[in-house]
This record gives sequence, structure tokens and C-alpha cells, in this order.
Amino acid sequence: MLTLLFRMSATTETPSLARLATREVLLRKRRGWFFGMTGDQFVKYVFQGNAAVSIIVLGLITFTIFKDAVGFIPMNHANLAVYRLAGLEYVDLYREQVTAHSTMSRYLAGIRARQLDILMQKEGLAPAAAMARLAAYDGFANSFADTINEQETLLGTMTDLVTAVKERQTVAQDLAVAKKNLLGAMSGATPERAVELQQQADAIQIEVIDYQAEIKPLLALRPEIAATNASQMTAMKEILGQAPKFADAELNRRMEKFQGFVQGYFNEAAVVAEKMAAWDQTKPVGRLEAFNAFAFGRKWITASFWQDWYGIIPLLTGSLLIAFLALLLALPLGVAAAIYVNQVARPMEQKILKPYIEFIAAIPSVVLGFFGIAMLGETLRRLSQLPALDWVPGFPMAERLNATTAACLLALMAIPTIFSLAEDAINNVPRSFKEASFALGATRLQTIIHIIVPAALSGIMAAMLLGFGRVVGETMVVLLCAGNRIQTPDLSAGLGVIFQPVHTMTGIIAQEMGEVVRNSIHYRALFMVGAVLFLISLLVNWLAQKIVRRYRISIG
Amino acid sequence: MKPAPSAFAAIFGRPTPAKRVETGVFWLLRLCTYFVLLCAAFIFWDIGSKGGAVVFQSSAPFINVPFLTESPETLNVFVRDGREQTMGDRAFRQFKAEHAAEMKGVAVETYVYSAGGIFPNIAGTVLLVLGSILIALVLGVLSAIYLSEYATEGPFIRFLRLSIVNLAGVPSIVFGLFGFGMFVIALDFGVSLLAGWLTMAFMVLPIIITASEEALKAVPQGYREGSLALGATKFQTILTNVLPYALPGILTSSVLAIARVAGETAPIMFTAAFVMRDELPWQVQKWTDFIFQGVMALPYHIYVVASKIPQNEYTRDVQYGTAFVFLFTVAAIAMTAVILRQRLRKKYQW
Amino acid sequence: MTESVAPSAAPRPLAVAPVAAASPAARAAIEIDDVDFHYGASKALHDITLNIPERQVTAFIGPSGCGKSTLLRCLNRMNDLIDGARVSAGRIRIDGVNIFDPRVDVIELRKRVGMVFQKSNPFPKSIYENITYGLRIQGQKTKARLDEVVEHSLRGAALWDEVKDRLHESALGLSGGQQQRVCIARAIAVEPEIILMDEPCSALDPIATAKVEELIHGLKKQFTIVIVTHNMQQAARCSDRTAFFYLGKLIEYADTRTIFMNPANPQTEAYVSGRFG
Repeated sequence: MLTLLFRMSATTETPSLARLATREVLLRKRRGWFFGMTGDQFVKYVFQGNAAVSIIVLGLITFTIFKDAVGFIPMNHANLAVYRLAGLEYVDLYREQVTAHSTMSRYLAGIRARQLDILMQKEGLAPAAAMARLAAYDGFANSFADTINEQETLLGTMTDLVTAVKERQTVAQDLAVAKKNLLGAMSGATPERAVELQQQADAIQIEVIDYQAEIKPLLALRPEIAATNASQMTAMKEILGQAPKFADAELNRRMEKFQGFVQGYFNEAAVVAEKMAAWDQTKPVGRLEAFNAFAFGRKWITASFWQDWYGIIPLLTGSLLIAFLALLLALPLGVAAAIYVNQVARPMEQKILKPYIEFIAAIPSVVLGFFGIAMLGETLRRLSQLPALDWVPGFPMAERLNATTAACLLALMAIPTIFSLAEDAINNVPRSFKEASFALGATRLQTIIHIIVPAALSGIMAAMLLGFGRVVGETMVVLLCAGNRIQTPDLSAGLGVIFQPVHTMTGIIAQEMGEVVRNSIHYRALFMVGAVLFLISLLVNWLAQKIVRRYRISIG
Repeated sequence: MKPAPSAFAAIFGRPTPAKRVETGVFWLLRLCTYFVLLCAAFIFWDIGSKGGAVVFQSSAPFINVPFLTESPETLNVFVRDGREQTMGDRAFRQFKAEHAAEMKGVAVETYVYSAGGIFPNIAGTVLLVLGSILIALVLGVLSAIYLSEYATEGPFIRFLRLSIVNLAGVPSIVFGLFGFGMFVIALDFGVSLLAGWLTMAFMVLPIIITASEEALKAVPQGYREGSLALGATKFQTILTNVLPYALPGILTSSVLAIARVAGETAPIMFTAAFVMRDELPWQVQKWTDFIFQGVMALPYHIYVVASKIPQNEYTRDVQYGTAFVFLFTVAAIAMTAVILRQRLRKKYQW
Repeated sequence: MTESVAPSAAPRPLAVAPVAAASPAARAAIEIDDVDFHYGASKALHDITLNIPERQVTAFIGPSGCGKSTLLRCLNRMNDLIDGARVSAGRIRIDGVNIFDPRVDVIELRKRVGMVFQKSNPFPKSIYENITYGLRIQGQKTKARLDEVVEHSLRGAALWDEVKDRLHESALGLSGGQQQRVCIARAIAVEPEIILMDEPCSALDPIATAKVEELIHGLKKQFTIVIVTHNMQQAARCSDRTAFFYLGKLIEYADTRTIFMNPANPQTEAYVSGRFG
């Protein structure tokens, strides 16, 4: 094709015999051969059209992702509306109280474990004997745990009530979709088939649920709830009066803390009761609420029988935690390597090191992820179990696949990026700066610290940003090695937070995209997550460019 | 009173504290650099030694041919006559038919994908890479020619460059999401080679454009002016006097792009890759079936065998073997690019 | 501004090579009328008017940045390649045709107005391919014709004897002076009417320079030559007419001898006598 164009664009041939006058030649009209364009113009438009593909692709990506993502908001709105109408919200309010109570029971179990520990370790009792010594405590703990029984029964009743409503709602919704599909198929069908489809559609009876009537029995339980709460309170106070005393000071302190918890529980019960009284089924769900439930939601629960939540916070924090850790490792190593290779290494060494480090970028991420599963995770866990390393917070690790495992591998991926860009930045520092510094008697190290690194700083910053972009957007390593537990990292664990398993934005897309129903709310929620990733990448790019541009001016 | 040291003595002076600090810091930097290299080397060694043991063997033909030429199968493990036996699915079925009585009640453990080989995965990856590189090269080189030879500074070009830079930063999973939403669903290609080609082509487009433009820009302006001054059209000039000299650089960039495309998993996960497929890619009726079929791919296979089956002595071979083949193929491609680039840097200094 | 068409017959002490007196009725090959030129917002040429006579060597001299190269590159519209560069007023006529006329085919213009650049730019191809490049892109394929043109052009560029045995070796292997002459031969090969030379000797040593100057002298029998030079001796040695530019204005245009011996304008005098520039 190219040769054809080539020949066509050379439309004139110089006649070798009779030389034409310049005047004639200059004004000779070139034949347009393609919609009045000359070959050269045509070729230019071909090239231009190709270049425009980049713009089109970026536009298409934006369009595709946001089109599906935006649909999430109304769907989540409907999702939340049902949550309120069907009374699930009301039941969840009550559930909070029950959960708070079981937290206290768990705390008591913790005290028991500590006692057992003391009895067995310090007093050297056999397990059976130790258990016997704890009988009195167990009696206390059990009677405390029993104080929630009535509430639990109530909660069970309430849950059953609303689950039935929700189930009917789900069925109605599915039927509505089926009906819509049938009617939608009519436009392209033959008349006979259309009639058939119409009949089928008409045959579908969609139940219209009267939510207000449905939750009447739920609200009717209000007096009962108040009564159980009151009786529970007296029961708990009575039990608390018989709280055991310990010889151990620490245990006593814990017990005091427990009493504080119980007081807190009473307050919470009062708050919950208030909330339940104020709860209004008919209060409409705001548009913004549907978005906020995504942007600030702390729960990502899908395909649940109760209520689906699509909150990005656990994924976002997981991604950021891993990215931050990976940068923490990669930045010093990458920049140190860049300084070393550019300023310290001998030419021969430089020639080998540079391509080698850049070559690391070629290790496919899925291989790194596999290495993490097969080798690194286990190695790190073994390391964390060494008694000598007991002082490290979070050691020994509970899981072999966690944020740190993934971060180590991601750091290795980010190092070549950071290295290349930082090395470039250092290389671009004018030679004269360095020479001037040497001429004043500075050592090489002083020159590096005071002249070269500051001059290259904005380049290094840009390298860091782009490294961050690379790490946040990486999928396979986090999917395989981050542990994939959908949970906001628990900062109360202190530094140990870095050894918790997390899930990430990229990981969730890769993991769940293959299994979701097309155009369902879950499907759209994943596109929402994709949109967030996309925006983060644009932001990182924009910042990096801004920094680099400023840096060019300052050097130039 | 000590006499002040002469300037001459200062030059030959003993190491000052500053000097000692410098040496220390340089050693630290050196340590960091070599630590990184060591980490990478360890990964290569680990996968190289364990996977190499699967792919190579000590007797002729020295290469584990079945592993490279067969399809993945389920591995069956059972105890017979007090000895443990392992068998691929096809062999096991035959065996079971032959020893029906004997096998009754024998507990059989199964591990998917752990027997057989990875041939369809290799074939799928090769097809995916070839197609997407072809598309990306055509689009990318033509775009680069436009940017380097025709473009005049203006809003369109600024926007174009912005698009390219931003496209380069988009995470690969977002490309996968885009490919899924656009090609698989909106255009209804299904999970297919074509969807994978386009997704990956768009993903490497920025790399190819940027590198090709650089190669074109490196051709001295004088060649263009000289040609134009002789009455060549712009297109003739580009074709005969710019492109040939930029070709080596463009080639290098395309080899790098091949390494990138071959190494990516996320974009093909829901656009082109199947976990398991019985037919080979060329066992199709018509050519449309060929481009609209999903394929098995090496990186996706690694993901599947690493995450979906347990880690134990039976599954280790296929895991490490696949990782070995994949890692060293991609590494070889990348190495080619690195060497090519160094050679060219030496050869073409205008 | 002196504007004498016929060169005077007085002795020319500055000229090294003997200059044949041009025909007194020399026709103007290029007529430049009131040309203004802009690079973006800044004006590079102010109201330039001059006629360049046929089959003579016309030199443009002046300090750096005076616009002489810009004017030269207007003559075959090489400035079209620069973003934001444009002729904002006036016209340049070659054989009576305004070359900025939209109907003019710039490709044909460049075939008729050849150019040799400051930095010799042989293509990284063989000498033979370099010379035949112009003809090949015009579609000329006959081997015999190409061979003939190569020999003719190389002889014309006084290079034939030096390279005839290695026509198929890379032109990049030649010395700087030879490379520049390959470029001249390459320009001759397409048989232009006019050859523009943009400081053709600035990168050459004195011996190579002398050869190129000699060549220029020979070429003017056949071609109209416009040469931009920084080197006043060179202008004095090989041109028939000289135009002195300063800050984008044409200060003086006259017979070379007049410019160097008896300039009308004090600025010209100051420049040619080396007091500034």
C-alpha cells in the first residue's frame, strides 16, 4: 500500500527532452486524485487520523468506565431505599446493641484466657486443675453472656420478618427485569412471536409490596424491646455486683475496665433505643447518600442474603497501605541505586548495572506474585516466628499473605521505574554545577548531597509519584499476595497493621469481575472502583508533569 | 607549637573524617544497589532452578517435551499395591477401565491442571502477543510519524500529547475493565482474541508512540531539508529519507512492547483468557471463529495454578514449570531489547 | 542605494579568481518586491526589494541574525517547514511567477531552485544514491540515464575524479569538503535554474573552501547562484553582486566591487572594513 501511495504522490515526471519553462512548471496544476486532495495531503490525514486514535482511546476508556460507573449511583440508591423500606435498617440498629454485648462477652473470655495462662505458667497447674480453679469465674461469665439471650431471640424474630419482605422484593425485582426483557425482545420479533412474548409478559404477576403494612409487626415489637432492655439492665447490674476479685493486679485492672464497658453499653443501649424510636421508614434516601455510601462506606459486602454494601474505604485504604509500604522500601533503594550508578560507580560497573536494574522491570508481575505465594510469604512468616524478632510489632505474622508480602514485591517492581527516572534527573544536572563544587574543594559526597540531589530533587519527586502510580495500579501481585481480606486495616494494632491481610481496588476488580452479572449493581460498583483508579492515575500523572515542568524551567 | 602544615602536606594528608564518612556512605549506596540486584537474582535463581528441573531433564532429549507439547490435565493420585501412583486424566481413565475391579473403593485425590503440559497456553500467548503488537505497531508508528513530521504546535497536538502521557499511566486493570466493557460487552465480541488484541494494543500504544517518535526525532533535520530541497514531496522524504534511519529505534521499542504485552495478565483476564479450553486455537471452522475465540494464556495459567489449586508436591511442578517458561521467555525478549538498544546507541551517532 | 545593473570595468583587486564580465543586459532571475517576513510575532525582514540577475553569483552578507539566511530560504520556500514563519507582505517572482501564489506547486519550485546547506548533509547512503536521489523520487529509473547524470553532476561538482571508483560507498565516508561537493552535485543533478547556498563553506577548512569557491565560479555559467556567507573575503572573491543586510533590512545592494571598494552607505563601509559584525 505504501509503495502505491508513494507512486501516486509523485504525480509529475520531468520530461527529459523538452524542458518546460519555469513559469509553466510552477503554475502547472497538480492533479488531485482523492476527493480533490493531493497524495501528500491525503497521507497527512491518514497519519493524523492514526494519531487521533490515542485521543479516541482515552476518550473511549473514560466513556466506557464512567458510563457503567455512573449507573451505580441510582442502583445503589434503590438498594439503600429497600434497605430502609423493608426495615433492614431498623433491625441493624438493634443488632448494634447485641453486637456490643457480645464484644463484652469476648472481653471476658480474654480475661479467662489470661487467668488460665497465669495458673498454668506461674503456678504450674495441670490444665484440668486450672480449669477447676476457674469454675467460679466461668459461672460469672456465663451468666453475664446469658443476659443477652432475650434480645437475641427478639433479634432473630425481627430478622426473619424483614428477610421475608426482602425476599419478596427480590423476587418482584427479578420478575420485573424478566418482563422488561420480554417486552424489549418484541421490537425485533415476528408478529406471532411478539404476541407470544406479550402473553408471556402479561402472565408475569409482579407483586406490589406495601412496605408500610409489612413492617407493622416489626414496629409492634417496640414495647417488648423496651421491656427486655429494662430487665436486662437489672440482671446485668445484679451480676456485676458479684464480679470476682483477682490476686493479680493486671486482671483487676482489666475487670475495672470491663465495668466501664458495661456502663458504656448501657449508654449505647439508650442511644440505640432513641434511634429506633426516631427511625422513620418513609424518610427518603438522598441522592448524595447513595454516593456517600460508596465513597465513605467502610463495608464491601456482596452477594449477601441480608444487605449488600459497596463501600470503597477498605479497598482504598488497602491499596494505599500497600503502595505506601512499597514506596517506603523502593524509594530509598531506587534513589540510592540511581546515585550510586550515576555518581559513584566505575564506568564499567555502570554499564552493567544500569541495564540490569532496568531489566528487573521485565519480570512479569504474575511471576512475582507466584514467587510471593510459593516462596516469599512463607519465608517472611518463618522469619517473623524467630524468637529473636519478637519485639517487632505484629510479629509473629498471623497470615503468610499480607500487606507486607505484597509490598516487598511491589517495591521490586517500582524500583526500576524510580531508578530510571531518578537517574535521568541526576544525569540532567549540568556538569558545570558539579565542577564548580569540586573546584571549591568539596568532596564527592558533599557535592552529591548539596548540589546534585537538590538540583535533581524535583525529578526524583516525579519519579516517586510515577512509582506510586505504578504500584497503586498493579494488579497481579496484590491479587495473589495481599491476602484478600476485605477489611479496613485496623490501626489499633499499631505498626502491626502492616502485617494484616488486606484487599485492594485492583485486586477486587480482578477477582470479582469475572463472576458478576452484567449490569447488576455489583458490576457497576466494580466500574466505580475502576473509575477511582483511573482518576488516581490521571491525578498522579498530572502532578508528576507539573513537577517535571517546573524542574525544566529551573534548570533551563 | 605545631607548625601549620604546608599546602603540599595537606594534599597528601591522612584521611580526614569527611573522607571516612564519604567512604561509608558510598558503601551504603553500593550495598543498596547490590541488594536490589541480589533480590532480583534470587527470584531468577529460585524459579530457574525449580522450574528448570521440570522443563529440562538429564537424559536425551534433555527437554521435557510432553510438558511443552501437551495440554493441561487433571492429576490423579492414588495408592496401589502400597505404592503411590500419579496419572494424568486420560491415562487414568484408561487405567480405571482396565482395572475396574481393582480400583473399586480406592481413594483418588485429584489436582486440576497438574498433569500434562502447557502447550495451548504457549500458543495462546504467542497469538495474543503477535496480534496486539501488529495492531499497536501500525497505529503507533503512524501516530509517531504524524507527531514528529507533520504536527505543528497547537491545541490539537497539546491535547494529543496529553492523551498519550495519560494513557501511559492508566493501570493495566483499567485497560482490562475498558476492554471488557467496550469490546466484550458493548461490541459483543465476547471473550475473544480480538478483544484481547485491541485491549493490549491500546495499552502499549503510548510506549510505541513515544519511543518511535524519539527514534524519528533523532534523524537529523538536514536529511529532511536536503530531500525537500531536491523537490521530494514530504511523504517521499519520510519514506525514503527518514523512516529507514529510524527503523532500528522503532524496532527496539517494539521488542520492549512485546515484553510488556507478553508479561501482562490483568488486561486479558476478562477479555481474552480462558481457564481451560479443549480445542487448540487453530481448530476452528472459519476465520471469524478464529478471532472470536478465547484462548488459554501462560500468565493467566500461572495465576490460576498459583491461586486456585493447593501448594504441594503434586502441583509444584506445573506451577514452577509454567513460571519458568514464562519468566525466561519474557526475560529473553527484554534482554534482546536491551542489547539491541545498546548496539544501536553505539552505531547511530549522527 | 546604488542599483547599477552593469558591472563597472574597473580593476578588482579583491577578487582572487578572474571574473568574466556578465552580460550587461542580464535578465533578473529572481525579483524580490517589498518582502516582509515574520517569525511568529517578530519581524525578521523589513521591506526587502532586490533583483537577482541570471547566471551570476549574488552574495548576501551581513552580521549574524540580519536575515540573510531567512531571505535565502524564502526563495525556495524552505521556511514553510518552520512553524509560525510566514511572508507577510510583498512577493518574490521567479520567471514572472509569484512563488507565494497558492497555485504554485512548491515541489516543482524546489526542483527548479536547488539548495546547498550550511552543514553538509549527504544522506547516509552511497554517493551514487545521493546523486540520483532527486531523479529517483521524480520517477526516473533508467539505469543508463542515472549513470549519465551521476557522472555529469560529479564532474560539474569537480568531484568525479576523486570518487569515481567508490560511487557505491557511503557518502558519509568522504571528507567534509567532498561531502559538501556531493551535496552540490546532488543539487545539480535535478537540473535546477537557481542554486541557493547557505554558508556552504562555514564548516570547511581553507583548502576545501578554495575548491568549493572555484566550483561556484564554474557553475555560474549554467546556474544562477545565490550565496549567503559570513566571510567577506569569500563574497569578494566569488560573487558578482553583493547585498548587505543589517537587522532585517537591505542596507545596500550593488556590484560586489562597489560594495567593497566604494560603498555608498557608512554602515556598509563599517561592516566590510571589519569595524563591526
